[in-house]
Amino acid sequence: MSTSSQALGPDYTHMRNDVLLDIAIFLSRRWSYNPNTVIILTRDRMPLAKIDKNQITLPFLNYYLGTSFQQYRQWRVGLWYESMRMHYSTKVLSYEHAFGFLLNTIETKRVEILGLQIWEGMMKELIFNEGMSWFARPLLNSVYGKTKIIEAFSQYFLTGYLKGELYGNDFEKVKKASSFAHDIVHDAVKNNYHTEWIERHISTLIKMLGLDALTSVPIVAPKTRIAGLGMNQSDLVKQIEKLVRRNTKSTDPDRTSRQIIEGSDLLHEFETLLKESKKTENKGYESLENLGLSVPEIMDIDPSPIYDADLIRKVKAKFRDWKTGWIERHEESGEEFDAESYTEMLPKNFLTDLKLSIKTRVAIVLDHSSSIEEVELQYKRATVALCEALNYLGIEFAVYAFSTESGRVKCWIIKPPKLKWSATGPRRLAQIRASGGTPLAEIYGLLQAIAKSFKPDIMVTLTDGEPSDFEAVREMVVSYRKMGIHMVALGLGRNLNDAISIGHNLKYLTYERSLAVSRLEDIPQKVIYLLRN
Amino acid sequence: MTTEIFEINYLDWNNALEILNKAYHAGLFALIIGPKGTGKTTLVRKFASELKKELYSVNFSLRTRESHLVGSKTLEKGQISFVEGILVKSMRQGGLLYLDELNAAEADVLLRLDEALDDRRQIILKEAEGQIINANNDWSVIATINPLSHVGTKELPPQLLSRFPIRLRLEYPPEDIELEIVQRHTTVDKSRIDDMKRAIKLAKNLREAAAVEELYYSPSLRESIAFAKLLNAGSNAKQAAEIVYANAYDQWGQVEYQKVMDMITSIFVD
Repeated sequence: MSTSSQALGPDYTHMRNDVLLDIAIFLSRRWSYNPNTVIILTRDRMPLAKIDKNQITLPFLNYYLGTSFQQYRQWRVGLWYESMRMHYSTKVLSYEHAFGFLLNTIETKRVEILGLQIWEGMMKELIFNEGMSWFARPLLNSVYGKTKIIEAFSQYFLTGYLKGELYGNDFEKVKKASSFAHDIVHDAVKNNYHTEWIERHISTLIKMLGLDALTSVPIVAPKTRIAGLGMNQSDLVKQIEKLVRRNTKSTDPDRTSRQIIEGSDLLHEFETLLKESKKTENKGYESLENLGLSVPEIMDIDPSPIYDADLIRKVKAKFRDWKTGWIERHEESGEEFDAESYTEMLPKNFLTDLKLSIKTRVAIVLDHSSSIEEVELQYKRATVALCEALNYLGIEFAVYAFSTESGRVKCWIIKPPKLKWSATGPRRLAQIRASGGTPLAEIYGLLQAIAKSFKPDIMVTLTDGEPSDFEAVREMVVSYRKMGIHMVALGLGRNLNDAISIGHNLKYLTYERSLAVSRLEDIPQKVIYLLRN
Repeated sequence: MTTEIFEINYLDWNNALEILNKAYHAGLFALIIGPKGTGKTTLVRKFASELKKELYSVNFSLRTRESHLVGSKTLEKGQISFVEGILVKSMRQGGLLYLDELNAAEADVLLRLDEALDDRRQIILKEAEGQIINANNDWSVIATINPLSHVGTKELPPQLLSRFPIRLRLEYPPEDIELEIVQRHTTVDKSRIDDMKRAIKLAKNLREAAAVEELYYSPSLRESIAFAKLLNAGSNAKQAAEIVYANAYDQWGQVEYQKVMDMITSIFVD
């Protein structure tokens, strides 16, 4: 896809949402200088920043027009604008009413100017985005009433052109209002005024446009707008050339336009992400349905309530030595001679350094039956911290969870064995609701095929009580042990007594080891100690 | 052990030299805490050269042994003799002992060091028939540690921390100071100053990402200086940024590299 014609051609490649999420989190945090930014992917919703919640909502790629590469480029620009808002604005109002729509539109211009002062390299992408958005904008002739004025203002103010026609008085109104809005932006940038200062001028703007604050504004996705309209290569080239001539000082506008359309700066990034998506597909999810496993796919979920940065930091700090440590061992031969051992007549008098590492492969099964509902949040926080620590220590691991949905037992795949732990893990865990019983035997049955291919050394089951199918569990545990997998159960108790009694119960299920914890935040430590032993 | 024969280029942007000087004259040991590449070693070298003192440096790692510090016995011409380590030498000579990356050392090494650092300023050499070494009155110690988020670092035991009552935090300098530091090391042509500023901004951003463990590596001031040198050699800014900053991340996979390349694409103009 290196030429412009190819870039516009049909494209059947597929970008996985978890890969998109990973790059979006990274970019938005860097662009907005806000390390707590959370990304939420939602179908068919325009990009939107919720500044007070550190959230940026983004649509899936297919919200945008064009090939998947063009969609990615527009999506990335959308992310950039919202990251700039996160950094420079103090509030974003709803786009559904005139007041919020106008404030947000003026803010778009202000944050664009401020953002380009740092992120100058974005200029070409912004031009490309504007070129593409021309196709998505509604034709003024097809919009009526006050909505027409608002849309005309937005087009004229942001891009300097109108798509379609606007006559006489209306055009004058829009021109005047747009010039007023530019002056506001200019003053705000010059004097470092913020959103609140701009907000004070919105009522004047509303009067100039002959609207009222609550005039409703229909929000339409670009895909809907394009219905019936064709978009072709030459239209795009013309549009981009026009923008290059107006917005850049390029001495060779034709060449610059070609470069912008090709987007070669980002092509490699896009291809890498596609490759990563493919890797993800091949590694973790093939024929999951056949195996009876489900992947929690909801992406418009905020994982921050279960992401306890403090706990994660504590657990990581605790095991930092394990990641980096060396131990000294005495041996019969080697390079460094230990005189003390020699004089004490010890048989091994050479010293060797050994790097500490945990080579164990582990599969973790998380109980999400209704009885953990009370402590669900703490439980999830602890398991996320456990996964973060395992990932940090470079241990190969897989995580599964089970719950009951509409009367059916579901075994969820939170992290497949070969994939690295990423932002998707907490998101998947966050959407599983604690419900139903503890059908452990059934779950072990579902996981058997995976266990045979992954061959974990240890399978740790985190559960809070007795399984509903006692005898069947005993049989399954034995069959796993026959595969050479060490079966361990970790009981979760409400208090010490509870934990002890759960521990006793688990013993009878023929697990090789059973432990119990009464403080959920101890889960990570318990599991990791298990691996070292 | 180093004796400075050339001028050391250090921009004392946060008055660290003055604090070290006061600590030295009050007979107090100092600890400098800061991420790598913030100029900790250059600061100590500059301080030693200003005092005209000999600098005895040891860089700690997980494999530094007690014998490196204290000394060890050797067998030469049938005679067993004791070769002094850097700690003992500096104590005898009254030099400035520089313990670099102290929190990368193993516990047993730290324990031995602790013995010499307490108020008595003496060490008993069990390796050399119990000889007692008393430190020269001019002996002084400066140590540095990396923040705990850095690979290979451990918490410094509290008793050892208390031996260094003067604690200095050395962060990465603000962008304008970083530019000044770069300009002290290499002349940046006026026409390339904007590119240099963008590179410093990029480095700052990558450091912030590394601090929250979203990237595996945090670029230091050395990278900014290398970038300036590439600009001087006629490199295009974007290309220089890729060479100096992005390529390092390829070892953690293509996606990590592309993330940094995206930052470069968004900052630099062709």
